[in-house]
Amino acid sequence: MTAPSTPADLPALRRKLAQETGPRFWRSLEELAETPAFLELLQQEFPPFAAAAVQGFDRRRFLQLMAASMALGGLTGCQKEVEQRQLSPYVEQPPGIVPGLSRHYATATSLDGFGYGVILRHEMGRPLKVEGNPDHPASLGGSSAIGQASILGLYDPYRAQTITQNGQLASDSALRTMLVERAAALGATHGSGLRLLTGAVTSPSLAAQIDALRKAYPQMAWHQWEAVDRDTVRDGARLAFGRVIDTVCDFARADLVLGIESDALSAAPGHLRYARDFAARRRPDDAKSPMSRLYAIESTPTLLGAKADHRLVMKPGNIQHALRLVAGAVKAGPSDWANIPVPQAQELAGLIADLQAHRGRCLVHAGRAQPADIHALCHAINHALDGFGQTVHTIEPVEALPTDGDTSLAELVADIEAGRVDTLFILGVNAAYTAPADIGIAAALRLVPHSIYLGERADETAELCHWHIPAAHEYEMWSDVRAYDGTATIQQPQVRPLYGGRSAHEILAMLLGEARRDDRTALRERWRHASGAADFERFWTEALRAGVVPNSAAAPTRVAPRPDYATALPPPAATAGLSLLYRPDLGLWDGRFADNGWLQEMARPFTRLTWDNAAEIAPATAERLGLQQSDMVELALDGKKLRAPVWILPGQAAECVTLRLGYGRRRAGPVGTGVGVNAYRLRSARNGWNAPGLALAKVSGRHLFASEQHEWLMHGENLIRATTLEQLHGKSPVPEAGTSDASLYPGFAYDGIAWAMSISLNSCIGCQACVIACQAENNIPVVGKEEVARGRIMHWLRIDRYYEGPLDAPATHFQPVPCMHCENAPCEVVCPVQATVHDSQGLNVMVYNRCVGTRFCSNNCPYKVRRFNFFDYSGDDPRPRESWNPEVTVRGRGVMEKCTYCIQRTRQAMIEADKANRPIADGEVLTACQQACPTQAIVFGNKNDTASAVARRKASALDYAMLDELNTRPRTSYETAVRNPNPSIKTS
Amino acid sequence: MAAIFGPRANFYTQIVLISAGGVIVALAAMILILPNTGYATDIGFTPPQPVPFSHQHHVSGLGLDCRYCHTAVEQSADAGMPPTHTCMTCHSQIWTNAAMLAPVRQSLAEKQPLHWNRVYTLPDYVYFDHSIHVAKGIGCTECHGPIGDMPLTYKATSLYMGWCLDCHRNPAPHLRPHEAVFDPHWHRTASTPSPAQLMAEYHIHPATLTDCSVCHR
Repeated sequence: MTAPSTPADLPALRRKLAQETGPRFWRSLEELAETPAFLELLQQEFPPFAAAAVQGFDRRRFLQLMAASMALGGLTGCQKEVEQRQLSPYVEQPPGIVPGLSRHYATATSLDGFGYGVILRHEMGRPLKVEGNPDHPASLGGSSAIGQASILGLYDPYRAQTITQNGQLASDSALRTMLVERAAALGATHGSGLRLLTGAVTSPSLAAQIDALRKAYPQMAWHQWEAVDRDTVRDGARLAFGRVIDTVCDFARADLVLGIESDALSAAPGHLRYARDFAARRRPDDAKSPMSRLYAIESTPTLLGAKADHRLVMKPGNIQHALRLVAGAVKAGPSDWANIPVPQAQELAGLIADLQAHRGRCLVHAGRAQPADIHALCHAINHALDGFGQTVHTIEPVEALPTDGDTSLAELVADIEAGRVDTLFILGVNAAYTAPADIGIAAALRLVPHSIYLGERADETAELCHWHIPAAHEYEMWSDVRAYDGTATIQQPQVRPLYGGRSAHEILAMLLGEARRDDRTALRERWRHASGAADFERFWTEALRAGVVPNSAAAPTRVAPRPDYATALPPPAATAGLSLLYRPDLGLWDGRFADNGWLQEMARPFTRLTWDNAAEIAPATAERLGLQQSDMVELALDGKKLRAPVWILPGQAAECVTLRLGYGRRRAGPVGTGVGVNAYRLRSARNGWNAPGLALAKVSGRHLFASEQHEWLMHGENLIRATTLEQLHGKSPVPEAGTSDASLYPGFAYDGIAWAMSISLNSCIGCQACVIACQAENNIPVVGKEEVARGRIMHWLRIDRYYEGPLDAPATHFQPVPCMHCENAPCEVVCPVQATVHDSQGLNVMVYNRCVGTRFCSNNCPYKVRRFNFFDYSGDDPRPRESWNPEVTVRGRGVMEKCTYCIQRTRQAMIEADKANRPIADGEVLTACQQACPTQAIVFGNKNDTASAVARRKASALDYAMLDELNTRPRTSYETAVRNPNPSIKTS
Repeated sequence: MAAIFGPRANFYTQIVLISAGGVIVALAAMILILPNTGYATDIGFTPPQPVPFSHQHHVSGLGLDCRYCHTAVEQSADAGMPPTHTCMTCHSQIWTNAAMLAPVRQSLAEKQPLHWNRVYTLPDYVYFDHSIHVAKGIGCTECHGPIGDMPLTYKATSLYMGWCLDCHRNPAPHLRPHEAVFDPHWHRTASTPSPAQLMAEYHIHPATLTDCSVCHR
């Protein structure tokens, strides 16, 4: 909800934290400051509701309305409830489809070209839910928030549905005529005027088609552009090895990880796999794999940095110096680098000693927003420490044609301006929005005589092109895609195009004169050659079933950094002055998901912002510039200006302003248009990630943020528990003074199944995949920014973010909070109509039909996990009816709701087991959040079964319950966070 | 000053009191009786159907098993309605020109589904599962009444929650041996295992059957 305006007396907060009089864990600056506004907020449930309710109401009017409601309420009972409903069976039932039973089909989604295996659950032919594919190496069953939300993108009613020519509706035959004409005209000139613009391409079949196109039109050119590109990664490989090489990290074998503003857990190709492997090494009580140690050096918080045992906050220029120092010290660079003066030398010395002690078992990874020299240095350090072949593997590039996007796009614009481009095909790249302002693609597009855009939405690029062809969603077409390690997946359509979309394959085929081509047949033919399988039909069905083409991972190559790579490195950036850091958004990516309501309303892990981006600045910088939360500032860079609201972010490097990409869209449908500010207006090709020379000036006005920061505050001690590995091994963790289970009432014996959940604070990386998975599974509506600001966000599961320690470089903890399913549930005793009651498995269940909306239960819930439908959010949701999960009730206005432990899944499993007269096996039921979690932080099962995973977790000494002093006996418990800091580094 | 109460005051008072009592009794009767009338329960409700399908003829007359048409009843929450093709397995051979079967032939020819009117409708917040009931020895006729003897299908039970709970609280008298579940004319005989034996055989524990979460999600 809205942050109450803070008199941000930051120096006072610093003093308070230093004296340790304040709380050890804190959520926000306001909480730390204990401002009066904050203290008032803490006392209230649904705080701004009181203000809203009294407007325009006096007591007399209220009583009149209540009396009328009571009198008329009974009348609804006089009407027969339902109209005549119908049953419409198939004419011919498709084989295998059983009404009421789900079916599952494998395919893959892609992000910046790289594939992640998914399995879609279908009911009666409708895809309803996305899950990770356990057989796919880039997923292993986990998924990301973006992957989870892809199903909403499929059903999005605001996707383009018609072909348009110059903004007017055009027919399919007009499109075909145009393509035939263009093909003929271009053929005459050997394609000299033909240009193709795509995103990153890893699809072997698309690459083959483009090859065929280049053979047919030898003079054409293929350009590629991704706003969130991997140019620096490729450039780094070029610097180190002399050519482009992809690296595949093995976090499972790394005893020591150094992340240089690493996106290994959030955005790097293969991040879901990396997260799984990383988390597997962060289990303090797993005797088989000792806990790894993690260092992070970064300018802006990352998900990996939040898990770090030592997190060094530095400006981009200092990171370059620091990594040179590390390289020099481990003999991966000139020895005089070892004497570079850098801040935080003591920590770096500890890091260097640790790296040398873990030769062959350490891993250095840098994020794509780091400059090329950092990537080259990482390769050199990994090589010098014998990481190659152990923790890092090198493979030939997965992309079909690794291309520098900025150069490629600039060449295209130069060609257009020189009049060398006659026909431009843009396949799925919203370049008019995402291209750096200084490249000027938007102006250039208007000069192209024939521009054809294949895009899912009528977006900024569609507006500037002559033709707009609606693109098919990934779940609507035949294609293929490769993952971070080269593993190929054949993508099969999950449903016929809902809105008449076409695939890139189809358009290219038409251009190649294969007008009657069928994508599936063409794909089969390609794979028949590529696979070389003796029994092709078997290969094909097995590849489709498993979602993975067997043995298609790239073979490792053997390369070594050039010995003289250091001489070629560009000099480090200047460290003085303000810098602007552009970073991809965890939900919107480069802006392509801006019209996805789930991703817009997903609270970002660090800022907890929804429906907004902000100029994220460090507390120290805010102090220096006299800025407060929600102030408006004007960012000026190279003569371009942009106004943005300020968000003070602990853990951000001083003098660095982070701005997330993907906001401020002009044409993103009713959901995404005009949300946030457009960072691309400042971005230039030269400084794609880190731009020095920023000027920042406060301007008048304040911004209303919809942040989940103060939302659902809990009052209590020890919500988070944290310790260190040293303490854990040295002496037994101090058990909290045991809470007494004393009660006046006899206890209830749960002698059958007792469902319970355990969430590991060590494994949770705050990626929000579970939040979106829960939203998809449980029909949770989107409420919009205004309602979020009023504290009415509907998510059943939230991930609280806590800080520990100093304002400028705090440690971060993520804590997912679903319903605790208390055995002594405080909500139940206050419900006047018994709408929330217990069942014999110990679930605290909501009976929606009994609920009359008193909200007493929510007021009495100490964990603040209950959500109320203040309006008919579900009814107002524009998504098509058929996209809701039929296994879960869609709640109406005036009804309370909350996490059910995915009761539809437990009930279904119990029915299946009961039919076979067998007990439910451990792991047979996965809740939606558990299934989505890439790190397996969430374990769910029967705690009465002592062999079950959840019972074993709960038996650990690290297990604790939130607010157990209230004697609520929650079924959801947490695993204490354990850090593994280097004992030789004294933390200040 | 005239008297406040006239000569007829007593009479009026009595009328008012008696009629007030009558209204209360009538209201109480309405509340108690009305929900159990056919008007409210729809018992006996026979909606019009595109084809006057007779379970009596097909089940009792010809001896078709329920599962011949309702194929999913043992696997899924939905019993399943037969696709037009199922009708046509026989009716492509017999009664091929019957006027009453014209909608079936039309459905097949035009590839448009038949639209049957629902006889049994549950509210959306109730998640009934056919397969578990069938697996636990609840015969079709427990809920669907004498379905095998219905010339036109009518609603035989109220589907009130109280009616569901009657059985969920005490399922024993409603159980049958597994082989009798689909028998439309089954009656308990001397050789039938006792209700208690069936309860044990099916592993039914009524204590947990009345949890809200059994039916509501």
